[in-house]
Amino acid sequence: MNAKIKLENHDAQEIKYTTCYMCACRCGIKVTLEDNKVRFIQGNRNHPTNQGVLCAKGSAGIMKQYSTAKLTQPLMRKPGTERGEGVYEAISWDQALDILTDRLEEIRSTDPSKLGFFTGRDQMQALTGLWAQQFGTPNWSAHGGFCSVNMAAAGLYSIGFSFWEFGAPDWDYAKYFLMWGVAEDHSSNPIKIGLEKLKRRGGKFVTVNPVRTGYSAIADEWLPIKPGMDGLLAMSMVHVLLKHEKFDYEFLVRYTNASWLVVQTPGQKGDGLFLRDENDHPLVWDIDKEAFRNGIDGDIAPALFGEFVAPDGRRVKTVMSLMVERYLDERYAPENVALECGLPAESIERIALEMAHVAFQETVELPIEWTDVWGRKHDKVVGRPVAMYAMRGISAHSNGFHSCRAIHMIQMLLGALDAPGNFRARAPYPKPIPPHQLPENNIDIINAPNTPLSRPPLGFPTRPEDLVIDEFGNPLRIDKAYSWEVPIASHGLMHMVITNATNHDPYALDTLILFMANMAWNSTMNTANIQDMLRAKDPEEPGQYKIPFLVVIDAFHSEMTNFADLILPDTTYLERHDCISLLDRPISEPDAAADAIRYPLVKLDRDVRPWQEVMVELASRLKFPAFTKPDGTRKFKDYPDFIVNFERSPGVGFLAGWRGKDGTKSLKGEPNPNQWDKYIENQSFFAHHWPDNQKYMRYANKDYLEVAADVGFVGKVEPIIMQFYSEPLQKFRLAGQGLYDGPQPNNQVDRERLVKYFDPLPMWYEPLEQQRVDKEEYPFFALTQRPMFMYHSWDSQNVWLRQIMAQNYMYMNSRRAAEMGIQDFDWIWVESHNGKIRCQVKTMEGTQEDTIWTWNAIGKQKGAWGLKENASEATRGFLLNHLISELLPEKAGERRVTNSDPVTGQAAWFDLRVKIWKAAPGETGSWPQFDALKKLPGDNYDRPDVLRYDARSHEKN
Amino acid sequence: MHPAFSVIFFTVASGAGFGLFSLLFIADTFKLGGGFTPAQLVIGGIVALGLIGFGLLSSTFHLANPKNAWRAFSRFRTSWLSREGVFAVVFMPLALVYLACIGFDAPLWLRETFGLLSAVLAWITVFSTGMIYACLKTIRQWNTPLVPANYLALGYASGSLLLLLGAVMAGLDTLPYIAMAALIVSIAAVLKAIYYFWIRSPGLTPTINTATGLTRAKVKLLDTGHTHGTFLTQEFGFQIARKKAGLLKIVVFGLGFVLPGLMLVWVFNERDGQAAAIIAAFAGIAGAAVERWLFFAEARHVVNLYHGAQRC
Amino acid sequence: MRLGLVIDLDVCVGCHACAIACKEWNASGTIGPLSDYQPYGAEPSGVWFNRIRHYEMDEYPNNKTVNFPMSCMHCEDADCVTVCPTGASYKRPEDGIVLIDQDKCMGCNYCSWACPYGARELDRSSGTMKKCTLCVDRIYDQALPVEERQPSCVLTCPAHARMFGDFDDPDSAVSRTVRERGGFPLMPELNYNPTNTYLPPRRKPVIPVDTQPRGGLKESIKQFANKLVRR
Ligand SMILES: Nc1nc2c(c(=O)[nH]1)N[C@H]1C(S)=C(S)[C@@H](COP(=O)(O)OP(=O)(O)OC[C@H]3O[C@@H](n4cnc5c(=O)[nH]c(N)nc54)[C@H](O)[C@@H]3O)O[C@H]1N2
Ligand SMILES: Nc1nc2c(c(=O)[nH]1)N[C@H]1C(S)=C(S)[C@@H](COP(=O)(O)OP(=O)(O)OC[C@H]3O[C@@H](n4cnc5c(=O)[nH]c(N)nc54)[C@H](O)[C@@H]3O)O[C@H]1N2
Ligand code: SF4
Ligand code: SF4
Ligand code: SF4
Ligand code: SF4
Ligand code: SF4
Ligand SMILES: [Mo]
Repeated sequence: MNAKIKLENHDAQEIKYTTCYMCACRCGIKVTLEDNKVRFIQGNRNHPTNQGVLCAKGSAGIMKQYSTAKLTQPLMRKPGTERGEGVYEAISWDQALDILTDRLEEIRSTDPSKLGFFTGRDQMQALTGLWAQQFGTPNWSAHGGFCSVNMAAAGLYSIGFSFWEFGAPDWDYAKYFLMWGVAEDHSSNPIKIGLEKLKRRGGKFVTVNPVRTGYSAIADEWLPIKPGMDGLLAMSMVHVLLKHEKFDYEFLVRYTNASWLVVQTPGQKGDGLFLRDENDHPLVWDIDKEAFRNGIDGDIAPALFGEFVAPDGRRVKTVMSLMVERYLDERYAPENVALECGLPAESIERIALEMAHVAFQETVELPIEWTDVWGRKHDKVVGRPVAMYAMRGISAHSNGFHSCRAIHMIQMLLGALDAPGNFRARAPYPKPIPPHQLPENNIDIINAPNTPLSRPPLGFPTRPEDLVIDEFGNPLRIDKAYSWEVPIASHGLMHMVITNATNHDPYALDTLILFMANMAWNSTMNTANIQDMLRAKDPEEPGQYKIPFLVVIDAFHSEMTNFADLILPDTTYLERHDCISLLDRPISEPDAAADAIRYPLVKLDRDVRPWQEVMVELASRLKFPAFTKPDGTRKFKDYPDFIVNFERSPGVGFLAGWRGKDGTKSLKGEPNPNQWDKYIENQSFFAHHWPDNQKYMRYANKDYLEVAADVGFVGKVEPIIMQFYSEPLQKFRLAGQGLYDGPQPNNQVDRERLVKYFDPLPMWYEPLEQQRVDKEEYPFFALTQRPMFMYHSWDSQNVWLRQIMAQNYMYMNSRRAAEMGIQDFDWIWVESHNGKIRCQVKTMEGTQEDTIWTWNAIGKQKGAWGLKENASEATRGFLLNHLISELLPEKAGERRVTNSDPVTGQAAWFDLRVKIWKAAPGETGSWPQFDALKKLPGDNYDRPDVLRYDARSHEKN
Repeated sequence: MHPAFSVIFFTVASGAGFGLFSLLFIADTFKLGGGFTPAQLVIGGIVALGLIGFGLLSSTFHLANPKNAWRAFSRFRTSWLSREGVFAVVFMPLALVYLACIGFDAPLWLRETFGLLSAVLAWITVFSTGMIYACLKTIRQWNTPLVPANYLALGYASGSLLLLLGAVMAGLDTLPYIAMAALIVSIAAVLKAIYYFWIRSPGLTPTINTATGLTRAKVKLLDTGHTHGTFLTQEFGFQIARKKAGLLKIVVFGLGFVLPGLMLVWVFNERDGQAAAIIAAFAGIAGAAVERWLFFAEARHVVNLYHGAQRC
Repeated sequence: MRLGLVIDLDVCVGCHACAIACKEWNASGTIGPLSDYQPYGAEPSGVWFNRIRHYEMDEYPNNKTVNFPMSCMHCEDADCVTVCPTGASYKRPEDGIVLIDQDKCMGCNYCSWACPYGARELDRSSGTMKKCTLCVDRIYDQALPVEERQPSCVLTCPAHARMFGDFDDPDSAVSRTVRERGGFPLMPELNYNPTNTYLPPRRKPVIPVDTQPRGGLKESIKQFANKLVRR
């Protein structure tokens, strides 16, 4: 006889829609609540991002909500105790805000740069950036600099959109997909949805990755490349394409700068810049008219190849000619890069030709009429269905910027951009190349007390004049972004902040605010030493720390909170208002511009406040102009009020949906007082679906660009011409050569770096750290990968997720391990130039032979994250970060230089080289170990030995 | 398989109990060695029932939810575990009636009928115990008729040694008892030897390839998807080293068969070897216990294929 | 009806989403709660109905990684049911779902011994055996929107590597897919006749490369000629 099946008690339940926060993918979720308890979190089928599916982290959100690591009240380091001891006293919010306001008021009215405000994987950079700008400090950035600025910058300086959230493969039409160095990405669910679509249609999926797990597991072909060699591989593919004359001639002529003319006067000023007319337009040689003509105009017939003599007598060559000269060189022949890349020459050549075949023989044509920006009508869109995606396997190397540009070079040659089946832009991208936004660099404004910056702290320099340096060439930012050391550091260098602030180099900070970044642990390089720096006292000011005041805003008891002088506890994602804005990193999909919100679904049970609420409060108290009425009173009641009523420019605000007084306008329109309700009614997201004629070729799509200009995505309607050859880079190179009319570096190191690395065409060089360490001594590359079911450090507190992985291992190639006498579960030492760690090994087939790797951020400090001290994350798990230095190995006669990409300042996490050996018998457990974090006041959580979570009020088994 | 103490105790004790009881019936029927007195028979019977009872009791310690143990009789038609329970439970009253017949000097036909019935049920029960394991297709080392044969042989061997001890203590002519024990212990030894020989051959078992369906190349486990143990690894993950198993097999033979055999010779020579009979009985039972432990320890459940074993 | 799942090994990326969605649904579902042991301690563990394992085929550099989710196969000839002495385990005649009546189970573990696929896990707190219910409390819940009357793991799978349906119906999506893709059961030699069926990794697509390029091989810049292309 069948037992009775108990069904849900729907009457006791409530269903609400909001946005997931377990990672930056920001999927739509449908949350079932029972008695203010979370019963079920599932994907929202209507949401453009995840279309109903949900990843492990998303579903495990329940266990985040009921984590024992949740902070419960504001805390102040107990007077008389040392920083890092972790002894705290509870204080009230009023006290906390008073202390902070006083301190910030003092800084703002004297030297605003003494405030550093850095945020981790913040999903509201538009607000935090605005806040910093209004405060008047240049010292703000989010995690982009240590994350993937190489991808963002390479894209934005080449194609107008980029990997890393500003574009996505067109999964509906792609027939060939080449994935470079991706384990999980921000676009977690869309990639998984897409890979299945591609494979279902019989498309081919090729992965370039030293490791074969996750997405790479299901690839049709795996290219186990040696880390850091992708640029070489990409340029070799370019070699093959050129050699076989497999490129999209029309695309190059119409949409790229391949035909622009470059001045060839080596050793003279102006060398390598574009030949321009009197209006500063780049020129091409028109083969029809036999004349130099404006290369941006329509109705031209440019020569793609050729060497000409300009009217002023200078020799000029087309970009394409320069490219052919460079990449056709035997240096890039597959057989000549095979050994360095660790790949068979045959594979390199074949993959390039396969892509060419699909691009040119299996073209997708859609009968969609569209008009190009020059006014010409087209009766169809032509898609070359070769899609690519690349992420941190490329970006986290110090040659990542150029490697990524080399990948974009393949896409441009194939004409495979923003069209059916290839890599498409996500609104508000594409943008002009680079986007027209410069970082604040006016020293007078930066130094002015009580004055907002006139421009955001971050932007996209195009020439040495845009650097954020003083008259002596010294950095004005604490992270040295936009200095000669890292000139186009478009996302800042968060990984340098603690080191520089401790060294008082370029100057000392007074207060450092860190919002949701675990900079004392997994998001820092050189973890153990960084912890010491946070504890370092200033010999000149007895009793004071090198970084005098440290404020940490976190929702959980992380390793970072342990160093705070003031801890401001945040709410969780189910407890607060949030907005995921188009002004920020968007959640748009290629077919739709989209944004989303969160709103409180469960009642607060602790004395915590949303940080955005606190920011609006502080901004009002400090009387930031944008937050204050002319009469000096506060302009916005609270955060929701701010979101509705703040306008960046008339009609453009944080949320794009249901604008206008009556909520009928999209993308642009006056504030709508009922906007939040509208979002809530519409399942917490807004999507503007692009009509067919605005979906493709948007860099040159008139109808699209008109809308984009109207709503502020771009400044005006003008073609966005893709840049094989980057003139901004050449300007910096000229400065390094001493051939630039304008600022030039006076330090030899900087000059050499500019000359060497600011190549206007994609180039490859050995990653910087590897140029300086002995490869014989350190024979292995060492990497990390993201596990699909863990988000950095913050998921070990999740009692469901940690069962899947509570300890990480160091993985290595089986054969290589056998040669070294290393077996599964042996404990080994791993040493780099920066230090050593002990960890446990597992062997596998799917790892390139010279590479070892582990899962990122599984290792934890004892006592953190609400776990017991014997948690295996702490006793057996480990962090690779101890081995990675934030500075390059020292070189005689040179100041210490950041371990970052020399162009963008991207942290070079994956340049690490190590040696390994078996630990002595009895040497077990991970090393180093740290003092355990102490329990915080207000942590009254029960930590039972058996947990039986059940959202139902009755009927338990 | 994880060797659970309660299950080992249960099968060894109840096997010996059922063996003893059946053989007691034979001894009674044929008045072997002159025959036990009714009082001696009843005491012997109670000892046997005690072994069975304690065994059954200990088996419930193995249950995570013993309050539902009574339901275990409900699936007699399909489940050997249920059958074992039912047979054991039916056996009990029959055995008690038999003992009562002896105690109260009931008519012989009645006594013989109940004796025979309980002896048969005892046999069936031990057979069922063996079948609990033998019917599992998931464990090759168990999925063989050798298993019930072994269970029966070892149960009766233990029983025969206990019976011999009884005969020695009762001062009977021990020769028939020695002969019976020698015969059964020898059969048990031969069966066990065959079994040990049989499980050493690889056999046509599932492999990691058939388990995963990935049959075209070598398959290796990369990750189980849970860092620490699960119910599956606790229950099925137990593994014994080949060497250790070999040693234990020597112990099984030494304790379970050789030592009792030597003791039988001793008793035979002495005609009054109480000490030897005690040693024989205890050694036999201890040997059976080691055998049972090894029976579990050597069993490799196919689920281990999913945890990386190449074959089971 | 014969309800069950199809698991597509060609696209499963091993993300564990299905495992968590399963845990999440069932924790407060008809068979929940599902105990977690040492949730904050040294060796966290717990009761799950769906686990994802990861395997490697062949050797470097020809190796392939295969992610492998497993839950109850709802076998046609389910020995787990036959061996159960209490009748707690049963197979529903109407749809083939194998379930465990929590009110009857005595926690003897015997059924788990009989299961070749490791589908059954004992909950030490309730003392009862638990396993995948095929989300019987979702798929028949008329109060849910039709498209959501699916197992939680199927709904969530980001790679759409899981399908739910009736294997008795030759025209159902699951039956068709199994035919087209050559679906196979695990360990068929044990004759449990599992309902859940796995789809093998697809064969690599073959893409022709045009060996004799029309443009010919270019060895130097001089060989490239301009074409008249207007913008
Ligand atoms: N589940 C989950 N999702 C996340 C995150 C998370 O923590 N967990 N973090 C989010 C964040 S902040 C980010 S930045 C993204 C990052 O997303 P991914 O870019 O996917 O990040 P990683 O895991 O660092 O993956 C890097 C991959 O590159 C490979 N690789 C390393 N070196 C090289 C190389 O030289 N060449 C090539 N071709 N490959 C190489 C590694 O083996 C690895 O597979 O993920 C986001 N999404
Ligand atoms: N070895 C190695 N190191 C790496 C990387 C790598 O690939 N290898 N990747 C790097 C990259 S790309 C990144 S992006 C960084 C990521 O590193 P982090 O940005 O430091 O990421 P998390 O560890 O997730 O830390 C974020 C903090 O946010 C807190 N938090 C979570 N939710 C909330 C909330 O709602 N409000 C508030 N206020 N706080 C919250 C968490 O508790 C945690 O302390 O790691 C970097 N570190
Ligand atoms: S990918 Fe997962 S964690 Fe990230 S937002 Fe989506 S559901 Fe949440
Ligand atoms: S959710 Fe889908 S892709 Fe992820 S592990 Fe499960 S079956 Fe595989
Ligand atoms: S998979 Fe195991 S538990 Fe499920 S029906 Fe088959 S034998 Fe029974
Ligand atoms: S554990 Fe429960 S369901 Fe399994 S066989 Fe025993 S009584 Fe039956
Ligand atoms: S069908 Fe339901 S119970 Fe079974 S594995 Fe999927 S989610 Fe879990
Ligand atoms: Mo990142």
